[in-house]
Amino acid sequence: MNGLLNISPVYASILVVMLPFFGFLMQAVLGKKSNSGNIGLATIILSVCVSFFAVFLPVWNGAPLTERMHWFTVGGKPFYVGVMLNNLTVLMQLIVGIIALPVHIYSRAYMRNDPGIHRYWMFLSFFCFAMLGLTISTSLLQLYVFWELVGFASYLLIGFWFTKESAVQANKKAFIINRIGDIGFLIGIALVYTHCGTVDLGELFGPQGVFLPAVNADGSWLTLAGLAFFLGAMAKSAQFPLHVWLPDAMEGPTSVSSLIHAATMVAAGVFLLCTIFPLFNETVLLTIAIIGCITALSAAIFALGQYDIKKILAFSTISQLGFMMVGVGIGSWDTAMFHLATHAFFKCLLFLAAGAVIHEMAHFKATHQLDIDPQDLRNMGGLRRYLPTTFVCMTIASLALAGFPLTTGYLSKDSIVVQAFEWGFHLGGIYLLIPTTLAAVSLLTAFYIGRLLFKTFFGKFKFAEKLQKGELHDAPIAMTGPMIFLAACCLFPTCSFHPFDYHQSWLLGGFHVKTAFAAVAEMHSAVPLVLTLGALAAWGVGWRWYVAKRYPLSKNNRWVRFATRQGYFNEFYQLLFVKGTEQLSRGVYAFDHYVVDGLTRTFSAATRRLSVAAHWFDRHMVDGLVNLIAGTTYYVGHLVRHVQNGQLQSYLGFALTVVVLGILYLIIK
Amino acid sequence: MITLTHFLLVSACIFCIGLYAVLAKRNAIMILVGIELMINASILNFVAFSRYDKTNYGGQIFALFAIVLAAAAVAVGLAIILNVYRQFKTINPQNIHELKD
Repeated sequence: MNGLLNISPVYASILVVMLPFFGFLMQAVLGKKSNSGNIGLATIILSVCVSFFAVFLPVWNGAPLTERMHWFTVGGKPFYVGVMLNNLTVLMQLIVGIIALPVHIYSRAYMRNDPGIHRYWMFLSFFCFAMLGLTISTSLLQLYVFWELVGFASYLLIGFWFTKESAVQANKKAFIINRIGDIGFLIGIALVYTHCGTVDLGELFGPQGVFLPAVNADGSWLTLAGLAFFLGAMAKSAQFPLHVWLPDAMEGPTSVSSLIHAATMVAAGVFLLCTIFPLFNETVLLTIAIIGCITALSAAIFALGQYDIKKILAFSTISQLGFMMVGVGIGSWDTAMFHLATHAFFKCLLFLAAGAVIHEMAHFKATHQLDIDPQDLRNMGGLRRYLPTTFVCMTIASLALAGFPLTTGYLSKDSIVVQAFEWGFHLGGIYLLIPTTLAAVSLLTAFYIGRLLFKTFFGKFKFAEKLQKGELHDAPIAMTGPMIFLAACCLFPTCSFHPFDYHQSWLLGGFHVKTAFAAVAEMHSAVPLVLTLGALAAWGVGWRWYVAKRYPLSKNNRWVRFATRQGYFNEFYQLLFVKGTEQLSRGVYAFDHYVVDGLTRTFSAATRRLSVAAHWFDRHMVDGLVNLIAGTTYYVGHLVRHVQNGQLQSYLGFALTVVVLGILYLIIK
Repeated sequence: MITLTHFLLVSACIFCIGLYAVLAKRNAIMILVGIELMINASILNFVAFSRYDKTNYGGQIFALFAIVLAAAAVAVGLAIILNVYRQFKTINPQNIHELKD
């Protein structure tokens, strides 16, 4: 055992990445014979164990390790592929593994009896492989490869039920929007390569975490590269206005949604920004902060108006990703990573719990042959009596999301908001708008997750009269087990032994980020207090509105409709891009059909006419002339032929004629 | 009074008759006869014009030669006709067109 633990973390981390890939290959080879998911589960368990014991523990707070080997050479510049282990990458790898593990276990029960289950396990292993590989990449190019693989795997999983039209549309949408981001990422890589001559993260940033070539770089390309990378992160992490794919991605199985939302897909964008953080200059950071702020606010507003339980969670994810972006934007990317880590747990839990609820509702719907949407909040209510474990887990996760004390969410969210306020005070003036908005969004967050909780678990079940005893019950242990584990991870001891002070967190301690702004002592007590009280008030209002049934707003209120329809973004994009593209292609088709083809047709017709004319000319003029000469000659010959008729007397007659003519000539002359 | 002109006229008539015979007859012997007529017409001219050569009578002498020559020519001609007949089994010149082509 000791010998096993003493293997180099580098090889251990490669093992972590390759195990799911191995699982993927095994399942791909076995095909339909392998539908238990045991292979995927075994590989991910092994992967997590190795990741924790052989990678995370030796590397965390130790010296960064880099191992790379030559991949290929372009011109004189070598490209490397390898493993880079530092606090950031091993933490990210561990989070991915730890989130993937409960999802795997949960999926065994949740996806049982699905006809495509063998594909599901295959894709899931592939997804884990891609994301685990992304975390420890040593060069931007390698990162990009895994980035694309993550996008592709999510495409497969979102469209897992590919016979459903909406799922197909959703995965197409996710893929296309991610392509936009990928372009940004690629441009960023190209810019960095052009100006620095390398894409190796170790060479670019060095052990000190500063952008080495930046010393003699002028700012404009750096801004451009930073924005390009941010565009990549925007698409991947569903930032405004590229967030539209994430709510639609709910078409995938709930377990997949939980994986995508917690640690894999959307976290990749934030992770990328943290990895290349030293590259960003002031302008880019401000852009990131502003976009993050807008995202947080808009998604929180949209979440208020959703009725689909998964859509609320999706917008909540977008909103929380906005928080992380602001964390990066204000320069304290450690808080972003911190929030990413805590968010991974409670968002994963929220989705798994929602999945359990949907599971039961779907069963109920099937038993009673109702025509209802099992994901619609309006069809639920009072479920806490039937699904107590799920209720408790979901409540813990919701508290964490809302940022109540004693949870991890409290620590991480406050770390971002507090630092944002400090940043705002440091810069002053209009910059204070961002932290203020974040604080408001925190309250909105508390409200919408409270709404979800109240509408689902409190009040009266809508179909209570149809309900038979014991019909709705908690999910089996295979599903509740992972949920309980995650719920435990949502509590403060996971990341800090001090329940109220995020500075004590071991996670933040591992990054040593120095911020440009000074700490403001009052903020550290005022902000958490205000936010907690505000969240309590929001839940109070939520209780009053949804449980006590004193709902003040009309359903057709314009703002409610605005939020329900997600700010009309889908309609807007539909109009602008989809319809626009259709119109454009129609126009291009018309151009092609009438102008290009028309030209060709005109030209061919003209050529045909010309050739007809040429044919006529050739036949009648050229041939005619020749024929005329030949005919004339022939005719003359024909005439003269009679002279040579072999008749002696005729010859004599001719001779006579000539003599006579000669005589006549002599006479006339 | 018979003058030179009358001789010449008679001679021309005979020549034309001979010419006609040569050109139009369908019998080789008749053509030979036509040739004889034309020779004789020219001999007549010789004789007629010899009146103006009273010293030598060249015309009359030449006429005698011509008659002899004509006789020889007729002999040769008849021999040719005989051979032609042997060859072609006809003496109609229209059926003999070996000269053609």
